[in-house]
Amino acid sequence: MARLQLKNVNKRWGSYVAVKDFDLDIADQEFLVLLGPSGCGKSTTMRMIAGLEDVTSGEIVLGGRNVNNLEPKDRDISMVFQSYGLYPNLSVYENIRFPLRVRKVPKEQHHEMVMTAIRMVELEPFMDRRPADLSGGQRQRVALGRAIVRKPTVFLMDEPLSNLDAKLRVSTRAQIKNLQSKLKTTTVYVTHDQIEAMTLADRVVVMNKGEIQQVGTPTEIYDNPANTFVASFIGSPAMNLVEGRIEGGTFTGDGITVEGLKAPSGPVTLGFRAEDASIVPSGGQIAAPVYAVELLGEASMITWRLGEQLVSVKTAKDYRAETGQMVEASVPAAICHLFDAETGKALPR
Amino acid sequence: MPHRTFSLFILPSLLAMLLFVALPIGSVIYQSLFIEHEQIMVEVENCGPFGCTTERRVDAEAMAQLRAEEPAGRWNGLGTYFNAGHLAFERIGQIWDRTETWGQFLDQAMNLPFYKALGFTLAYTFIVTPFVIILGFCIALGVNALPNLAKGPVIFFSLLPMIVTPLIGSLVLFWMIDSRGIIGATLQTIFGDPTLSLKASPTLTWVTLFVYGVWHSAPFAFVVFYAGLQGVPKDTMESAMVDGASRREQVRFVVIPYLMPLVVFIALMQLMDNFRVFEPIVGFSAEANATSLSYLIYSDLRGQDTPLFASAAATSVLTTLGVIVLLTPVLIRTWRDFNRKA
Amino acid sequence: MTDTTAADAKLIAPRRRRRSATAKPLPLIALSVGFVALWVIAAAFPFLWTAWGSFKVEADFFSRQNWMNAVTGVQTLRQTGEAFTMDGYEGAWIEQEFWRAVINTAIVTFFVTTISLTFGTLGGYALARSGFRYTFWILIMALIFRAMPHVTLVSGYLLPFFELGIWGYLPTTIIVLVAINQPFTLWMLHSFFLSIPKDLDESAMVDGCTRFQAFRLAVIPVMWPGVITTGLFSFLLAYNDFTVTSMLLTAENQTMVPKINSFLGSTQAEGKVMYAVAAVVSAIAPLFVLIMFFQRQIVSGLTAGAVKG
Repeated sequence: MARLQLKNVNKRWGSYVAVKDFDLDIADQEFLVLLGPSGCGKSTTMRMIAGLEDVTSGEIVLGGRNVNNLEPKDRDISMVFQSYGLYPNLSVYENIRFPLRVRKVPKEQHHEMVMTAIRMVELEPFMDRRPADLSGGQRQRVALGRAIVRKPTVFLMDEPLSNLDAKLRVSTRAQIKNLQSKLKTTTVYVTHDQIEAMTLADRVVVMNKGEIQQVGTPTEIYDNPANTFVASFIGSPAMNLVEGRIEGGTFTGDGITVEGLKAPSGPVTLGFRAEDASIVPSGGQIAAPVYAVELLGEASMITWRLGEQLVSVKTAKDYRAETGQMVEASVPAAICHLFDAETGKALPR
Repeated sequence: MPHRTFSLFILPSLLAMLLFVALPIGSVIYQSLFIEHEQIMVEVENCGPFGCTTERRVDAEAMAQLRAEEPAGRWNGLGTYFNAGHLAFERIGQIWDRTETWGQFLDQAMNLPFYKALGFTLAYTFIVTPFVIILGFCIALGVNALPNLAKGPVIFFSLLPMIVTPLIGSLVLFWMIDSRGIIGATLQTIFGDPTLSLKASPTLTWVTLFVYGVWHSAPFAFVVFYAGLQGVPKDTMESAMVDGASRREQVRFVVIPYLMPLVVFIALMQLMDNFRVFEPIVGFSAEANATSLSYLIYSDLRGQDTPLFASAAATSVLTTLGVIVLLTPVLIRTWRDFNRKA
Repeated sequence: MTDTTAADAKLIAPRRRRRSATAKPLPLIALSVGFVALWVIAAAFPFLWTAWGSFKVEADFFSRQNWMNAVTGVQTLRQTGEAFTMDGYEGAWIEQEFWRAVINTAIVTFFVTTISLTFGTLGGYALARSGFRYTFWILIMALIFRAMPHVTLVSGYLLPFFELGIWGYLPTTIIVLVAINQPFTLWMLHSFFLSIPKDLDESAMVDGCTRFQAFRLAVIPVMWPGVITTGLFSFLLAYNDFTVTSMLLTAENQTMVPKINSFLGSTQAEGKVMYAVAAVVSAIAPLFVLIMFFQRQIVSGLTAGAVKG
């Protein structure tokens, strides 16, 4: 059990900056998710914590001890890899036992420790099989079992669900959440899937182009995105963003006018979530011909094309409209977020 | 991987290459600047019953001592490079003055040993390589059309000419084209000329060596193309079919563009391998009509009683320069690719 | 749906009757089969002919009258009393001591292959796993070394080896062949190790291994396919080498290929060309077996460099 601190960590390859000024304090027992598009530096950050990449500058402190110059094997961490990294020549049992063997844990303890781990990941019937004879989900659980067999101070998980199909992903996600709450081990989890991040995390770190965009609980990040990048990355569908101008508290963009906003005049980006707005027969802030109507099952989604952007609003599942028909939507000032047009940073509400 | 670990892993391999590939290149450059010692003569008086005669003789003892002291010979600068056996600038100049047309000039210049070898080496490299690519591609297309059952054995026999030692492969063909061998005799019968011999005329010898080269290397191109054909994207192929492309158009617009990187790969490997053509000349005993740069070096080292180190070294350096010129486009391309990625 | 597609098909090809969408027209099949058959004959016949002829006497194999003599063995029957003779093999193996060359070849190929692979796996692994810029330069250097004609290197060795007194011995030749072989081995194993997921050795390292332990425990157990393929080519290089072995070995240490060449110099004149033919066939036989067992590995090895571009 340990606290993990990253102090101003940087990673550069030549002139390419992979991670810039990463500064974060991860509490003991916390489940932290690093979220971002591919190439945003989240995996590199995790690999630096594991010791698989060198730190260009900055400090990584694990349990009060600087681990910058320690080999991965000396950091007392365990890691689940995207393609699992199972040893194809060893059985499930031996795969899970491997960390105990190489760390010279006394032999007598092996069997009990391995069996505990195997039971936790529910692999008893497959103990003697080779990885090649297992399904994707089972392999993933072997990797989990190998990570938990010797109680490490930190778990690292690098997109552990991305090679599973959609259904399996949901159930394994629940299993990981359950395991972590039982083991209470500090966990760092990397993913590009915002739903995984929302469901698993105590705190989420949103990254882009090597920089932290926002740190916060899933609710904070969803409700109060710090900038347009976070707003457009989190949520499904992502937040609607419309460019326009504010004059005297009134926002005007292509096909949209919102009154009663508290912000100084000038160019801004206005954002609102699809589920917060609603379709109205008349007097709406949006009034434009419909671009597309999609049925989602539990709801319908109406989309307009405002200038260059597509803007969507969720409505009742039995709502029907034709493409090209004029439809209005209510977007009250209370649900709107405003972002600086140049920097993309959220303006105070 | 930290530098230290990396260097430990790579060390044996790197050391072997530096000691036995990089160092010899240095050694060759060094040796090429020296030349064999001049003979040390002594006058010896031979007195017999009919009086005394003086005779000039090589002083073997002094020579041995000198060789022990300076094994590389005496300093000669770039002399060896310019002598008649190599670049022969003086002779080239004379020929230039003497001859009137370009044809004559080339004709005579090509009689100088170095230029003769260079001419053959380049001809071999640039004639064999394209033929290998074309023949290999045709075989690959043909084999690809065969039923699966037949593919295995066909590939098995196809590999033979490439896998078999070049010297041995050329000997096998050499015996067959012997005027008493099956091909040689058959050709005599076909052309009704009992004196016809593939070994006698320079042109026929060249052609024979080219044919051998294509025969030897076509399997390589075939196997690479064949593997490439298995990976032609099915979607693109099928959309070409749906778009109404004929079979020939499918090959022209889908298969060939897809295999283009392989053509580059084969061409590169073949240019490197063909430029050092050597064994077939020994196997076909073709040195009278065709020599290559590699063969010149070999005969300098092997042909005489004492190896002509300086001459061999100078040819080696010139050959190395040739290799570098040949590789330059590839290196430039790799460098660009690398920088783009970085 | 079905109706429309059927109608469309008729519209596109109203007159031509189609067997199936993918079947090839008959002339094309005939052409490609004929062409391939011709190639197979060109590739295999010389070897079969020579192998057959090696059991005949010279007057049949090099028949002035009729090449059919080599098939029927008229002169062989007259000279030895039987249609097949082992004279050539006896002469080469026993009289000319070809067996010595065979043993030398066995020693050279065995050591060249094992040492090349040991050096090559270590180096290739390091190159595949290190992200630093110098790996690129090492690979480029290896590419240039790969292109060097072997005889130019030999001309660099000869004098220093004479001076050091290590010329003529098998170990010298072995290490030289290993070095000449390294560029190729490095490239080949480098690209092979790239295809083994990095996750494997990294998870071993997180599990508690040093880099070398990770290599030994996690990578070595899964690297055999690539090593076998590369090993085949190392074997072929050593087995087939003429340039290095003919110039760096004394007559008694000679391997098969230079030995066969020396037959041509001395023995051919004495009318013993059949010795050389028998020796050539003896040297080809192991390669024949090799292709038979390892055809797939050879094919995959030849394409390994190409597939990754």
